[in-house]
Amino acid sequence: MLIKSSDQLPSVTVLKRFPVPRNFGVSAPSRIERGKTWPAPVGATRIGKFEIYRYDPESGTNPRTDTYAVDLDRCGPMVLDALIKIKDEIDSTLTFRRSCREGVCGSCAMNIDGTNWLACTRFIADTAEPATIYPLNHLRVIKDLVPDLTHLYAQYALIEPWLKTKTAAPERERLQSSEDAEDLNGEDGKGPAACILCFCCTAGCPSHWWNGNRFLGPAALIQAWRWLADSRDDATGERLDDLEDPFRLYRCHTILNCTRTCPKGLNPGKAIASIKKMIAERRS
Amino acid sequence: MIHNERPLSPDLQIYRPQLTSVLSIAHRLTGVALGIGSPLLVWWLLAAAAGPSAYAALQGFLASWLGLLLLLGWTFSLFYHLCNGIRHLFWDAGYGFDLETIYASGWTVVTVSIGLTLAAWIFGCGMKG
Amino acid sequence: MARKQTRSWVGRTQGLGSAREGVGHWWMQRVTAVALIPLTLWFAASLIARARGDYGALILWLRTPSTSVLMVLLLIALFYHMALGLQVVIEDYAHNDRIKLPAVVVVHLASFALAAAGIATTLRIALGG
Repeated sequence: MLIKSSDQLPSVTVLKRFPVPRNFGVSAPSRIERGKTWPAPVGATRIGKFEIYRYDPESGTNPRTDTYAVDLDRCGPMVLDALIKIKDEIDSTLTFRRSCREGVCGSCAMNIDGTNWLACTRFIADTAEPATIYPLNHLRVIKDLVPDLTHLYAQYALIEPWLKTKTAAPERERLQSSEDAEDLNGEDGKGPAACILCFCCTAGCPSHWWNGNRFLGPAALIQAWRWLADSRDDATGERLDDLEDPFRLYRCHTILNCTRTCPKGLNPGKAIASIKKMIAERRS
Repeated sequence: MIHNERPLSPDLQIYRPQLTSVLSIAHRLTGVALGIGSPLLVWWLLAAAAGPSAYAALQGFLASWLGLLLLLGWTFSLFYHLCNGIRHLFWDAGYGFDLETIYASGWTVVTVSIGLTLAAWIFGCGMKG
Repeated sequence: MARKQTRSWVGRTQGLGSAREGVGHWWMQRVTAVALIPLTLWFAASLIARARGDYGALILWLRTPSTSVLMVLLLIALFYHMALGLQVVIEDYAHNDRIKLPAVVVVHLASFALAAAGIATTLRIALGG
């Protein structure tokens, strides 16, 4: 019950989901229906079941959840291995994003057993039975587990994630002390610059669910902090001006789902608090 | 049914309740509950100013089972919102953001609020004047 | 029929630009919160100690200068904190401007009215009457 890092799984499950009806507050096109249960592989001794959100844009039907049974003795250890095996051997229409398979690209971010994580770094052994797999929350679904991230990328672009200097370029690099570099990289390598833009945090933020059109969300804000904290950047004041807004920044109510869910162990909640402190400091 | 618009992926319907989100929504619910109860504070002052019979009427309501239930709810809301509010102030100052501290302080807030509520009621019921 | 959305992704995300304000609200919420820590503890403890007391003793206590001053401070801090908090709650959940804006105005006016009523009553009790 005492969580020390985001990769620690809860030992007890009191509530798997909030006690609301299955399709609570969901508009008609988004209602999830019960889908197909695929047969178990013949001769398998260890079977893992996966209940996966499916949506086919060409059929015009509602999303549904299909249940697959995977022979775990003939499958890699990670949830991504199971998804690839399902696509290879059982149902080739299953669609999901993936690339590096080692937890550094952020492509396979999805909701597994109720929390957002990377499929390639989540052990099947650590999932429930059946494991429930949904796309990242409160996003338009293109197909199956592939959400439309356009708006999230637009919010990232809004914070202008590049170095803005007002001094002439030096002959070689712009110097930075190791302490200043540590503000970006973190002494344990988990500073804001280490973010892989998987959007697990933003997709898990209730404030972004309700106000995501105007609230920037933890992913964009931790990157905003990354540039505010960069000693080489000269546009701190302008960056703060653009962030100081009741919706862009101040919809953050320190819920801290972001820090809880980050698959890289970063701390967006703390970064956002640092932004608020910087804004308060400049007027006192 | 044929739909043309992309569906929205589920959020509240499937996200796992965690200490972070549960204590946060509880902070909001207790805050709103206290807000709904705030007119009672003003009513209490008005009744005290109006005289012993007006005050006795209010006391009568508060001693009813509904009144006692509301008072119990409000005292817990007060202590929870106060303790979690202090936790929020530490966050605003920049402290306590590592997960270990978030969880330890969270459980402390829950325990202390329940404790203060029980202490208040036991003590209050035991007072003689 | 809703108007077709033709603004670009960049334009839509920019919205109306940054309001360049918001820290005032954030700061006052924290200042009133800090004030409310000792004030609510004082108030809760005082009421619990007098939970079963009689009307006369209560009025004597309310008449003392220190009690009146602390009560006025409590009412100011409480209703200011409540107005700011409820405004944020409404802004979070009400997205239709025709509901949101009147609701926020009503919350502020009602909080002010309740505070004024409470302060006036406290002063009336303290100064005679």
